[in-house]
Amino acid sequence: MKRIMLLLMLVPLAFAAGEWTGVAALAIATSVGLLVILFMVGHGFSINELEITAKEELYQVIVAGLLVIFLVASDNVLDMISNNQELTGGAATIQDAAVQSLGNDLSSLNSLLSAVGGYDQSTAYQASRTLQCSIMSIGYSVSGCGGYSMLTTPISMAGGIIGFATAEVSTMKRLIEISQAFAMPFLLPLGILLRTFKITRGAGGLLIAVAISLHIIVPIGVIFNDMLGATFLADTAKSAGYDPTSAPDVQVKSCNPGDVTTTPFFVDLGAASGAEKAYSGISDWMSGGGVCDGDNNEDRATCAYGTLRLGLRNYLYIILLKATIGPALALLMMAASIRALSALGGAEIDVSAISRFI
Amino acid sequence: MPDICAAAGGVSELIANNIFTMVAVSAVTASVIIAASYMIGQFLQNPRLTAWSKSEVIQLLVSVSSAIILVAMMSGFCSIQIGDIAAIFSQTSPGAGNIYQGGMDYLRDAAIYAGNAKTVVRYHLEAYTVLSSVSKFECDFPIGGGIGLGCMFGYSGTSVQPFGTTAYTSALNVMFNSAIISQMSALNLLIILSAFYKGIVFLFLPLGIFLRTMPYMRGFGALLIALSLSFIIVFPLLLGALSIMGNVLIDKPAFVPNVGGTSLGGFLDEGVFNSASGLGQSAAAGAFGGSDSIRSTYFPDGDNPVGAITFAACAFVAAVFLPMVALLGAIGSTVYLARLYGEEIDLSRITQLV
Repeated sequence: MKRIMLLLMLVPLAFAAGEWTGVAALAIATSVGLLVILFMVGHGFSINELEITAKEELYQVIVAGLLVIFLVASDNVLDMISNNQELTGGAATIQDAAVQSLGNDLSSLNSLLSAVGGYDQSTAYQASRTLQCSIMSIGYSVSGCGGYSMLTTPISMAGGIIGFATAEVSTMKRLIEISQAFAMPFLLPLGILLRTFKITRGAGGLLIAVAISLHIIVPIGVIFNDMLGATFLADTAKSAGYDPTSAPDVQVKSCNPGDVTTTPFFVDLGAASGAEKAYSGISDWMSGGGVCDGDNNEDRATCAYGTLRLGLRNYLYIILLKATIGPALALLMMAASIRALSALGGAEIDVSAISRFI
Repeated sequence: MPDICAAAGGVSELIANNIFTMVAVSAVTASVIIAASYMIGQFLQNPRLTAWSKSEVIQLLVSVSSAIILVAMMSGFCSIQIGDIAAIFSQTSPGAGNIYQGGMDYLRDAAIYAGNAKTVVRYHLEAYTVLSSVSKFECDFPIGGGIGLGCMFGYSGTSVQPFGTTAYTSALNVMFNSAIISQMSALNLLIILSAFYKGIVFLFLPLGIFLRTMPYMRGFGALLIALSLSFIIVFPLLLGALSIMGNVLIDKPAFVPNVGGTSLGGFLDEGVFNSASGLGQSAAAGAFGGSDSIRSTYFPDGDNPVGAITFAACAFVAAVFLPMVALLGAIGSTVYLARLYGEEIDLSRITQLV
C-alpha cells in the first residue's frame, strides 16, 4: 500500500513537469506501475478479479498511449479537416468560415431588429395619436388611429423571435470562439491526460469528446446549414417568385387622428389559390394604388398590416433557416457527437439534458 | 464546517484527524461484523455465510483503498496550483489558487458575469420602459420648438407617444430571464461544490464504506463512495479547467464582452434612472428640440439591444452550458465508478434535473 501511496504522490509531481506530453508519459507510467502492483497482489493472493481488472486496465492505458501518439505524431489530421477548402469556402479554416458566417448572420439580425424597431416606433406613434381641442376647459378628444394598435402585437412577436435567433447565433459564435482558443491546445491534451487514470477516465473521455465536437462538428454544422441556405436561395426562393434577402418595403402611412370615418373594405383575390392567392391579392391591392393612401385611417392601418405581412417573408430566410434551424442542427450534432465520442473515450455521458437547452 | 484545504494544521492533519478516523471506525465496525459472520458461519457450518464473509473482506479492502486514493487526490488537489496546470498546456490562467479554489472562483466569476449581463439587459429594459411611457403634445399650427399657435389660446393639438419599444422589450425580456437563470445556475453549482468541499465528503465516505459491507446496502454504499469521488475530484477538476479558460469564457478581468468592437460596460451604471427627473426631461425636451433629447439621456452613445442579447447568450454559455457539461461529467463519472464497485446505478432521473 505504501508503494501505491508513493506512486500516487507522483501525480502532483507530474504536473510540475512542463510539457503536457511529458506529463502524459509520466501519468501512463504511473498507471502502469499501479496496474503491475494490482496484478501482483491478485496473482499472489489468487484473486482472479484483480488480475482481470489489471489486464483490462492495461488495454485502457495502451489506448491512452495511442491517443497521445496519435495527437503528437499526426496533429495535422484534425487540421486537415479544418483546412479543407471544400468546406471553408475561401476562409483559412472551417472555424474561421463558421465564425465569418455567424458574424454575417448577426449583422443581418442586427439590421432586422433595427428595422422592426423602426416599424414599431412608427406604428406606436400613429396608434397613440389623439386629437384634442379645448378652450376654457370646454372641448373634445378624438382618437381615430386605434386601427394601428393591431400592429403592435405581431411586431412585438417579431422582436421576440429575432431576439431568440440572435441569442442562438451568438451562442454558436461563442462556442466556436472558445474552441478556437482552447479545444486543441488545452481541452484535448488535458482529456487524454485525465483518461489515463481510472478515476478520472469519465472526465477525460468527456473532455476529448467536447474538444473534438467543438472543434469539428459545430463549425461543420454551421457550414452545412449555409449550404442548405444556398440551395434554398437558388431553387425554392426563385420558384416562389421573390427574393428573400431583399429589404422589405413596409409602409406605415400617417394617420389622421381626427378622421373617424370608415369604408367597407374588400380585396378581390382573383382566381389564384392558396398562399399565392393571398400574396397576389395583397400585391394587387398594393400596386393598385389608392389604398395605402386611402381616404381613411382604417385603410391605411390595413395597408400597413399588408405590407408588414409581405415584408415578413423576406425575414424568414435569415431568422428561421439561418438563425434558428441552423444553430439547432449544429447543437444537436454536437450533443450527439459528445455522447458517441465520450462512449468511445471510456465513459458514456448522458448529454440528452444538454440537447434540451435547444 | 471544515474546509478541506484551509483547515487549521493543513489538509494532512484534517485528513488524519477527521476522514481517516471516521473511515477507520467504519472499517473496524465492518470488520467486526464480517468476522462475526465468518465465525457464525464456521460454527453453524454454513458455507454461504462463510463465502459471504470472504467476499466482503475483499469489498472492504476495495472501499478502504478508495478512501485512501480519494484523500491522496484531495491532498494533491490542495497543493496543485491552477496556474501550474495551465502552464503545462502553455496556457495562462487568469486566476490563482488550487484546483478547488479555481473551480469555486470560476463559478463565482460566472455568477458575476451573468449578473453583469442581467444588468446590461435590465438597463435597456428600464430605458425602453421609460421611453415607451413618454407622451408628447404637438400643438396645432406649430411655430417651432414644440410650441404652436394652437396652444396659445387654449389646448389644441395632438397627443402622441413618440417611442414604440415593444419589439425591443419583447426581445430583451427573454434574455433577461435567461440571464437570471444563468446567474442562479452558477450560484447553485457553487453551493453544490462548496457543500462537497466543505463537509459532505466527510459524511459520505465513511458512511459509504460502512454501508457497502452491509447486506442489501452495497448499492447505496457504492453510490455514496462514487459520489464522493466524483464530486470531490472530477467536478472541481472540470471546473478548474474552465477557470483556465476564463479570459475568453467570462471575459476576465473586465467581466464584460466587447460586442462589435464596443464595450457594454457603460450600461452597468444605472445611476441615470435615479437622477433623471421627469420635469427636467420635459424641460429639456421642450427647450432642445423634442423627444430625442430624452432618448439621449438614457442612451448617450446609442442603445445596443443586440449587444445586450449577445452578452446574455455568452453568460448562458459560461454559467449554464459548460458548467452543466461539467456536472453531467461528474454524474456520468459517478455511474461509471459505481459500476466499478459492482453496482449498476441509474442516475438518468437526476440528469433530468439539469
